[in-house]
Amino acid sequence: MKKTQVAIIGAGPAGLAAAIEIARAGGEVTLLDENHKPGGQLFKQIHKFFGSGEHRAGIRGFKIGEQLLEDTEKLGVNVLLDSPVYSIFEDFVIGYTHDGREKAIQAERIILATGASENALAFPGCTLPGVMGAGAAQTMINVHRVLPGKKIIMVGSGNVGLIVSYQLLQAGADVVALIEAAPEIGGYGVHASKIRRAGVAIYTSHTIQEVIGEDSVEGAVIVGLDEEWRPIKGTEKFIEVDTVCIAVGLSPLAELAWLAGCEFAFVPSLGGHIPKHDRNMETTIKGLYVAGDLTGIEEASSAMEEGRLAGIACAESLGLYSEEKARHLKEKVWARLDALRTGPFGERRRDAKRKLMDLMEGGADIG
Amino acid sequence: MKKTSEIVIIGGGVIGTSTAYYLTKRGKEVVLFEKNDLASGASGACDQDIILQSKNPGIHLQLAMKSAEIYKTLEAELEHPIEYENTGGMILIETEEELEIMRDFVKRQQQVGLEVEILDLKQARELQPGLSRHLVGSTYSPQDAHVNSMELTLGFAKAARKQGARIMLHTEVVGIKQRNGRVQGVVTSRGDVDCEIVINCAGAWAPKIAEMIGLTIPIKPRRGQIIVTEEVAPYVMGDVLSARYIVAKYNPEILENSSDPGIKLGVGLSLSQTQKGNILIGATREFVGYNTDVTRTGLKEILKNATRLVPGLKGMNIIRMFAGLRPYTPDGLPIIGPVEGIEGFFVAAGHEGDGIALSPVTGKIVSDLIVDGKTFIDVSRLALERFAKNNKKA
Repeated sequence: MKKTQVAIIGAGPAGLAAAIEIARAGGEVTLLDENHKPGGQLFKQIHKFFGSGEHRAGIRGFKIGEQLLEDTEKLGVNVLLDSPVYSIFEDFVIGYTHDGREKAIQAERIILATGASENALAFPGCTLPGVMGAGAAQTMINVHRVLPGKKIIMVGSGNVGLIVSYQLLQAGADVVALIEAAPEIGGYGVHASKIRRAGVAIYTSHTIQEVIGEDSVEGAVIVGLDEEWRPIKGTEKFIEVDTVCIAVGLSPLAELAWLAGCEFAFVPSLGGHIPKHDRNMETTIKGLYVAGDLTGIEEASSAMEEGRLAGIACAESLGLYSEEKARHLKEKVWARLDALRTGPFGERRRDAKRKLMDLMEGGADIG
Repeated sequence: MKKTSEIVIIGGGVIGTSTAYYLTKRGKEVVLFEKNDLASGASGACDQDIILQSKNPGIHLQLAMKSAEIYKTLEAELEHPIEYENTGGMILIETEEELEIMRDFVKRQQQVGLEVEILDLKQARELQPGLSRHLVGSTYSPQDAHVNSMELTLGFAKAARKQGARIMLHTEVVGIKQRNGRVQGVVTSRGDVDCEIVINCAGAWAPKIAEMIGLTIPIKPRRGQIIVTEEVAPYVMGDVLSARYIVAKYNPEILENSSDPGIKLGVGLSLSQTQKGNILIGATREFVGYNTDVTRTGLKEILKNATRLVPGLKGMNIIRMFAGLRPYTPDGLPIIGPVEGIEGFFVAAGHEGDGIALSPVTGKIVSDLIVDGKTFIDVSRLALERFAKNNKKA
């Protein structure tokens, strides 16, 4: 069986950043990803990132992706693409498939950076062709250069809903309406202003009641909600669209952590069931680390920082860094992470993360 | 929680719930304790076969045939859909050597009235077009059947409850009270219950229950790993076993002395398709304590064996894999009946891979023994004491 010092599962921003840290420390890394190309979601992020200069603010996502790939290549990281991992067995044997064949690789350490998946929404007509995740629509326009539809309704006003609406407009689609069940827009004001200026109708306190169509989406019925989030009779409104994009949050892709036997905590503000981990990103299974959206839904910049943390801690555990050197490096990453987790959105995540990490030291369970 | 009950049943698997059903049907007061959930042990981690022709001619087959008779009307009786289907089944024969053994096995089964015959490869392939051409033939019995083991457990539990049984889930029995050689009651994680009779239906965990009253039961957990495919169009007819499965079941020492990883894991084919279309591919038979992990070696060896016998499986996708702990006994027969020396203590466990097939008859026998003091056959061969007689040290 093939062996490697460190196996990283998921070649998105967290996995790539972790791989670079370990390779830089002199470790041998194998990076596995189910996709045809590495980079995760970075290559569809054509917008500029936020944060300070240290976080490469002002640089577009795909440019950051290109830089990470260049670094991994220079450092000699072994990348296995088209290689979906199906399980982690005893003694860190990782089972995956490639080219229709089952294969395995055994690692001394594993870092899971499997990311997240889009949440679905159930309503009559939700399985009609034309109803899709906003992330899927973003992949179509920004990676494959295919317009998913001409007249689009976006459901959900978090940052994903807002950014993808704007990018759909840029790609030439007409975003007819954006609806949000809460009384206020969920994402950043700066993103909302952009689509407002472009003339997109925004309906807060509204939800989708039904999607109508024979073989594909022909229109959507939306309905107003009262303070208790109950539909208000008589406020139904038909909107003619051919595409319905759903942007109602993400859930950590935690299957491999479950299969490996990690302990979990349920943290709704971070997206659901999260593998418990400490400040080194190490889980309840010694030698198994996690990073990125799997550890709580955030964004690419914090995913990269978590990847670096996991990478440094992993290198330290392999004796590639002294304790002092590792502490110094980790402190720098933590300072950047704390800076990213500021503002009303960031602080909520920082608190949830802190409580989650406290659990490893016997803290009270979080609801 | 009520503090008394005539009878306490320990274990919410198919055997415990069946026993609760038959006892309440006879008007007995029953409380059933299950430390996790219904069908959370082997009853929820097995295949769906009710196979008669895998049983040794003798009391084993006699039990299975009685159970099969009960199954025919069980769904209507329980008023719960259990996905029972009389599908027929076959045992695949790979070598002339196996053919000899199976000829003898089949002849002895026919003598006790089982409808079973030997087919050559051509006949076998007419029934089961997916079979590999290297096979010598198969057995065939129209009497084999399928059932959804989880629905069956739920069906028994629901019907028992309707008849007055109290079913206490997430309640662990942690002690058994006795005085002067008589059972007095049980201690549970939610309080004590006084009773006259305790029935140990804890499957692979039955020895742990028995230990609470200083009793040794020679049951060992034996892990069976099973693979589930995606839903596909009808492909597998009835239950399919391999002769090697039968060999693995009755001759564990052959397995342990082998160097072949597949044989060492006790891999023998067990194949069937659910009503939804998923194909269940089994199974291993391993002694690894109470470990229910699935292993990559198990996965590979099960698939190697299955695709060798039924090559068409190669094109299908696997969606899941699970493992259950079968309660193994040294002679392959379950332990059913009262225990000498401890009045009021009964065992109904140790069915290994036959728990689903034998669950109706087991519940019926236990209820007969408790209510009437006897049942339709002589069950002294199923008593726990049979092991003590053979081995005084046990």
